[in-house]
Amino acid sequence: MIVNRPSIFVYTNDPDPDFLRQVCAGIEEEGVFWEIFPRQDSDLNTLAYDAARDSMLGSGIGISGVDVALQMQGVIKGRNVEQYHMPTYAQCRKIGANSARAIKKMAFK
Amino acid sequence: MKLIAGVDIGNSTTEVCIGDVSPETGVHFLASASVATTGTKGTLANIHGIKSALQQAVGKIGRGLHDIFLVRMNEAAPVIGDTAMETLTETVITDSSMIGHNPSTPAGAGQAVGELLSFEKLEQAGPDTPYILVVSDKYPYEQVAAAVNRISGRCKIEGIILQADEAVLVYNRLEKKIPIIDEVKLIDRVPEGQLAAIEVALPGQSIRMLSNPYGIATLLDFDAEETKNVTPIAKSLIGNRSAVVIKTPNGNIKENVLPAGEITLEAENSIKINLDEGAERIMEAVSGAGEIRDIIGQDNTNVGNMFHRIRQGMSSVSQVHHEEVRITDILAVDTLAPVKIAGALAGETCMEKAVGVAAMVKTQQLPMQQIAGKLREELGTEVVVAGVEAVMASLGAMTTPGTKLPLAILDMGGGSTDAAALDEAGQIRLTHQAGAGELVSMLIQTELGLADRHTAEQIKKYPLAKVESLFHMRMENGQMTFVDSSIDPRFYGRVVLLSENGLIRLEENIPMEKIVQVRREAKRKVFVTNAFRALKKVAPDKNLKNISNVVLVGGSAEDFEIPEMLMEEFANYRIVCGRGNIRGCEGPRNAVATGLVMSYVGEWK
Repeated sequence: MIVNRPSIFVYTNDPDPDFLRQVCAGIEEEGVFWEIFPRQDSDLNTLAYDAARDSMLGSGIGISGVDVALQMQGVIKGRNVEQYHMPTYAQCRKIGANSARAIKKMAFK
Repeated sequence: MKLIAGVDIGNSTTEVCIGDVSPETGVHFLASASVATTGTKGTLANIHGIKSALQQAVGKIGRGLHDIFLVRMNEAAPVIGDTAMETLTETVITDSSMIGHNPSTPAGAGQAVGELLSFEKLEQAGPDTPYILVVSDKYPYEQVAAAVNRISGRCKIEGIILQADEAVLVYNRLEKKIPIIDEVKLIDRVPEGQLAAIEVALPGQSIRMLSNPYGIATLLDFDAEETKNVTPIAKSLIGNRSAVVIKTPNGNIKENVLPAGEITLEAENSIKINLDEGAERIMEAVSGAGEIRDIIGQDNTNVGNMFHRIRQGMSSVSQVHHEEVRITDILAVDTLAPVKIAGALAGETCMEKAVGVAAMVKTQQLPMQQIAGKLREELGTEVVVAGVEAVMASLGAMTTPGTKLPLAILDMGGGSTDAAALDEAGQIRLTHQAGAGELVSMLIQTELGLADRHTAEQIKKYPLAKVESLFHMRMENGQMTFVDSSIDPRFYGRVVLLSENGLIRLEENIPMEKIVQVRREAKRKVFVTNAFRALKKVAPDKNLKNISNVVLVGGSAEDFEIPEMLMEEFANYRIVCGRGNIRGCEGPRNAVATGLVMSYVGEWK
């Protein structure tokens, strides 16, 4: 039997490495696990939507180049919960923290 | 056919009622309107609001302002209310400082004691002294963790205080695990070189050592006197997940301590009473004093300052010199107010006992004639000032289906609670009591420690809910509501107010249950107390049982829970009490305006 750790999925396509690192730091600070999967698709909405759909926690992040989006299971594709183009590091941290807070049912930052 | 307009200028809204009066059929109500009062009640600035309300009302029946035959205005009740609040407990001087806050993600667990050392001076750390490291947010978590790992072999780092929200990030990278507190915004105010104790609670628990005076004494090596001084700090840290207490010997925090003070009721039976005795004793004294001429606070005390502020406020509104302002009634309620702790580095507060007071001042008649004259000029229509507000309100209240004489009305507004009792013979008895909606807002604001009054007003007005997922929220009564399209993520996980224009987010992080409790208590303390006070004064023979019907009118009667509270209380006296429904369709609003139109029929006959 293969058991996966419950984790937030981060689907990426050629992500900016600094942005990716900051997003993951945001998740780590909240104490939730995450997994990074490089994908072929470069559409931000698809990356975020698929990540949320595939994560057993129902929370996913898509990073395509310098675009970052947070999505939650059940939300219509394209209506990302939070989304940034060229975010600051603080915004990356925030989106990571919020992806974890979505699971912990805590108010967003 | 004659169109008669009744105009009621209130503190917050201006109400208009239009009726068609003819000798054969009597009065036939056509339309009504309500707009926000422009300017202070009883000033010429009101005209603008009156005109737009009239315009709205006649517009509804397809007529113009020139069709109005007569405008009748109320003689507004000449009372102004104000509120104030003062704490009873004295400010304590202490010689320690503290940081008590609840970062959502501190890391590690346990307590640590050491000398405060800034990250810049890490290399100068000696081998034998235990240290608590203080790190500003200039340094990223990798650098902090690496530096601490490198140095931990040769000196003792017992704990870390971070400015950035990175406690877990640093903790995960440390080889030797120590407690870490983060999100300390005012890190530059942490005094270097002093002895400090930090504590992080285990998950799901709150701190134990630093919320206990003897715990602090143990960690920081305090004697009995110092331990006594540190007690308010310990008290204010109860329930926190993390805390820092810093020993600042010979701290020169000095504060001016004011005694709470006495109030003097100048009345038939003059009496002095100390504020320390609490709201209940004060209210007993007020009801036992008889006719009150003035209420005075002792000079140079908290209560003296409070009454001084009220007088100043009143004199600026009523344009009476503040020496001549006479406070004729007060409502005192016990409450809790946040008090700044001396030595708190981040403005932490603790709740101390306080008394909130609403005071009422009788002014000379408001210049209604002047407003009437100006309105007459602008409209080209006859305008008269007709009748006392409470009489008109009683007349209007009688149009509520299911009422009969003798009837009492309770007009619950913003500044004062007014009552009137009307018997079969047409005799009317009136009273004005201090304390109403504004006092409730003030109590909510202070007890919840809200930054502004506006939020408190909204909490007073709307029921609460907690958004638990993007698709459902839990109402304050436990009911769940599901929505089709996802709720805006800004509301996710938050306590929201259900207003008629959608959700309002509360920025403060206060549990929903706490807000509900504070809100209901505040309403009960003010309105139930005042309803009894007022009705006892107007009831025949001062006996509540002689009243059979109580109709609630005025802005606060529209509240979603106040009428029910009063109904429950009055049920014990076999009194029929409920929210008025003026003309069977207006709800508790428009009573005075309706009464003004009705009274015209009476005069005409």
